Parts: sequence; C-alpha cells; structure tokens
Amino acid sequence: MRRARASGDEEAPRQNGSAGRRRSEQLQSDGDDGDGGLGPADLQHDDNDPVLRREIRSKYRDLIYSVQQNREDMLSPSNNKLTEVLEQANKLFKDVRQAREAALDAQLLVVATDLGKEKASQLFAEGSAFDPTAFAEHLLSFMGLNRLEDEEDEQQNGGDGYLPQDAWHRLARRAECCFRTAPSFHYMMGSFHAEPPPPKQRIERQRKAPSKEATRIMPTQLKKMEESHQEATEKEVERILGYLKTYYQDDPTSPISYYEFVIDPNSFSRTVENIFHTSFLIRDGLARMYLDNDKLPCIAPVEEGEVEAGGSCSRKQCIISISPKTWKDLIDAFDITETMIHPPSSENE
Amino acid sequence: MTQRKRLSNTQSSSQSKRQPSSLVAQEEDDDATFTQPSTSQVQRGLEKLTPAQIDQKTAEVVQYFLVKDQKKIPVRRADLVKHVVKEYRNIYPEIIKRASRTFDQVFGLKLVEIDAKTHMYILINKLETAEGISPINSPANPKMGLLFVILSVIFMKGGVVRENVIWNTLKKLRVDPGEKHEEFGDVKKLVTDEFVRQRYLEYVRIPHTEPAEYEFHWGQRADIEVSKAKILEFMGQLHEQDPQSWTQQYREAHSCPSSTQASTSSQR
Repeated sequence: MRRARASGDEEAPRQNGSAGRRRSEQLQSDGDDGDGGLGPADLQHDDNDPVLRREIRSKYRDLIYSVQQNREDMLSPSNNKLTEVLEQANKLFKDVRQAREAALDAQLLVVATDLGKEKASQLFAEGSAFDPTAFAEHLLSFMGLNRLEDEEDEQQNGGDGYLPQDAWHRLARRAECCFRTAPSFHYMMGSFHAEPPPPKQRIERQRKAPSKEATRIMPTQLKKMEESHQEATEKEVERILGYLKTYYQDDPTSPISYYEFVIDPNSFSRTVENIFHTSFLIRDGLARMYLDNDKLPCIAPVEEGEVEAGGSCSRKQCIISISPKTWKDLIDAFDITETMIHPPSSENE
Repeated sequence: MTQRKRLSNTQSSSQSKRQPSSLVAQEEDDDATFTQPSTSQVQRGLEKLTPAQIDQKTAEVVQYFLVKDQKKIPVRRADLVKHVVKEYRNIYPEIIKRASRTFDQVFGLKLVEIDAKTHMYILINKLETAEGISPINSPANPKMGLLFVILSVIFMKGGVVRENVIWNTLKKLRVDPGEKHEEFGDVKKLVTDEFVRQRYLEYVRIPHTEPAEYEFHWGQRADIEVSKAKILEFMGQLHEQDPQSWTQQYREAHSCPSSTQASTSSQR
C-alpha cells in the first residue's frame, strides 16, 4: 500500500512535473484570492524585495541539501519523506518569481526525480528484493564475526562483535570460484618488476648537489690548493736556503752538520719536512753535502761561482731514511736542543 | 630513455624495410593509428622470416603478457607493438594468433580482447575452479573478497549502484573508505583506481549532479571473468534462499549470450 503511494508520488514530478507545478501554483493563488490576504500589489512588492528573494533561495538550498544528506533515509520504503519534501517545495514555489529561484526549483526537481527513480527501481525488482544491509550482515556471519566478543578497536568502526583477522581471506577463498582469474605468474627467484624503476629521485639529487654555489667554489678551491701547495714548497725551500746561507756566513770555516741542521728536536714531522725540502736544494745544486773527517754528513751552500763548476762533476744520489727512533737517537747523539730551521709560523711571530 | 632509443632504432629499421612512408609517420603517434596489416601483407611478411624468428617473437609476446598479467592491468595493443612486437608489426595478427594458441594449449588460459576500440587484452582462466576449494594452495587474495562484495552489490542492484551504497555496505563490513585499512590500505584508491584500471569496475560520474556523485558498474574484465550465476549461487547460500527467487538476476545470470558464462552455466 505504502509502496504504491510512494510510486505515485514519484511518477508525478517525473512525467508531468511542470504541469503539476503550474496547477498547484494556480490552486495556491486561487486560495490567496479566497483569503483576500494578498493582492496583486503585494505580489508586485514581493518581486523586488531582496530579503524575501534571498530567503526563498536559501530555503531551496536547504531543501536540496537535506535531500542529498538524507538520501539513504529517504530511500527506505517505510517513510514518506520524499512526499514531504515535494510538498515543501510546492509551498516554496508559490513565491517563486525570478529565474534564479526557478532554477533552484528545477535543481531540486532533478534531485527528487533521481530519488524517485531509485525508489521505483526498488519496486521494479521482481521476486526477492536485495537489501545491501542484510547482505552485509550475512557476509559478516560468513566471515566469522563473533557477536559476543567485543574488541575495543573494532567498536570504533561502529559494529559490535569481533571480526577475525582472516575474515577477508575467508571470503576471498569462497568467492574465488566466481572468478575465472588467470593465476598470476611469478618468478621463482624473487620478483621481477615489469616496469623500470623510476629514476626520478636520482635526477633530483644530482640536480641539487652541484648547485650554483658549489660549482663556483669547487674549482677555485682546487686551483688554490694546487697553487698554494707548490708555492709553499718553493717558499719553504728558499727559506731553508736562507737559513743555510746565514749559518754559513756566520762562520764559513766550521762545517754545518747535516743532522744538526735538519733535525727539529720538538717535532718529528717537521724534521721529515726539513729533510724533504733540503733535498730540493741538493737536487738544484744550491747546496752540497759531504762527509767530514768523522764520516758525518755536512751541508754547505754552493757559492755563485761554484755552481757551474759543480754542474760538471758527477751527480750522486742517496736516500735518507728516518724513523722516530733514529730521530730520537740522533737527537741524543748530536745533543740537539734547538732547531736550526724555525717553523714558518714561529718565524712570523 | 633506452626505450625511446630502441624505439627510434626500430623505426629506422622498419623504415628501411617498408616503403610506405605514411605508415611510418603513423607509427609515431602509435596508439590508435596502428593499422592492422592486411592478410596479404602478413603473408608477405611471413615469407621474409624464418619459423624460428616467428617462434621467438611469439615467445616474447607470451612472456610479456604473463608478466603484465601479474598486476591484472589489461595490455594495450599499442604498448605491445611498441615494446615487444616492434619491427614484426607487419605480421602482428599472426603473432597474436600463435600467442593465444600457446596460452590455450600450454597454459590453459584464454587471451581475450576486451575492448575492440582501444584494443586491450586480458588473460582469463579456461579451467573451472572446483567449488569452495582453491585449486592451488596459494594464499587467498583478500582484495578479491572486497571486489566480490562490490561486484555482488552492483549485480544484485541491477547493474548500477551509487557509490555511497557501496561505501555504506563496506562500512558495515568494517571497511571505511576514509580510513586506512590494514588489509587494503587506501580503500578508496583501491576501489576507484586499482579495480578500475584492472577493468573490474567502472566508476563514472552521474550526469547533472552537483556536487559530483559517482556510480559503479561492472568493468569489462568483470563481464568476462566473473560468473554471475556463481555469485547468485553464493548469494543464495548466504541468504539461505533459492537463487531463483531473485528472478531478474537469475534470468540475467543464465542468459547472457555474449559472455562466456553462458557455456559454463549450461554445463552445470
């Protein structure tokens, strides 16, 4: 009985909605005449009253919104909400004067028709009707829902009862026979990704690294290092030559012991550096080494005139090795207390 | 990068092989413009190749399908031609014929073109699965359970269903599309994106809805792969009701001449 009524309500706006509306409007205005409350002048006034216009539009919007929000409720065959909405709309329509309001009315009609269509489809279903809610309940039972047990986090989801972990697996296994899905093929030796891995991230990182600043700094730094290194060696060699010459000039007769000259009793590394730099003096022929009467190595600068003469004599090479132990032994043996070549920093001071 | 390089190689090689330059130009915007070669063209193409070459290419195509099927996303003919068939495109129909024969006779699968317009292929299982028991002891894919629920609701509701009907049903099953599910992750994405791309579902906007509302249909893959009769059977089991009591659905499930279910249901 109810259903029949509902369908009647729905059919009306769908098939002859406009006609129905017009009729109802006429009825309404007839009624107005009967009451004598509203004359044509009043209507004229209403037409231009923006407050009233706005109110009507707002009411329409509310109505549309409520239909959209309560859709599920309205679909249920056990109530007459759709009829109520349509009656409300009819009431509103009697005050509709402007195109915008009419458009809203039409929009409501679309929504209502759509609802009507769905309601009608419920009736069309021959045989048993299908209710998704009942279906969900049956599924839950199938999935092994335990309605007596409660789990806290399950309650958040609105249901009561405990759904086992493998619920969906259970359903999937049963449903599998409905699918003729090709079993997917997998490599035994792990997975192979059909798509190449996106190289996006790498590109970004590469782009980020050599940013403007870095590109500007890096080459200059490198250049500087090379230059300064070479210069430092050259400077140091010259500085040592300066020391050698001063010591020689101070007393040209007494030989300068090589070890006493080179060893820094406070620093092994400085000693090694001194040996290294002194070797350049020997190589370039700016200094010469010889053994004194005690067969100990001595060092002396080469005089300007001697340079050419020395060039002709045969070159000899030797390797000097030094370890922290021999360094200490030498310090003891020569009784070295002070360095003859002061480190560059201390020289500055 | 490499693909593009390779593509350009094949283009140049095919250019040298085949004279009509218009065809080559068409290949560049591969998709719809790939023209099926005529039988005489195929014949001529076959004559130039050794049987071993054709077998090799067929095997490559078969493997491509198998690997692509892991994700259940249909294979587009354009991609197949671009990545695998390449310079053999002039004998494309023959290769597809052979590949589907291999699937049929070796793997027990069926190669189906699901969309004649966009030329997409899927693989389906030719073998009937025994009721209730999974043929292989592979772990069940829970996503199939979810998909089953959605397809069932759509089918039982007459083929079209608004999305909120689906979401409400899923909520009752403790799956909230707005929340991350421990089994399905982003449910909304899984349903409206993954299932859609796999062609199990269609997710379309209902015209004239503001704000936009969407509805679900069965996708092309579901039409071929899923048996309505068996869904109805399960439905009957769940509701403890004779499947025939859903007259309309029963009629539909047992009378679709286009889909493959017709044959399976008549067997039973």
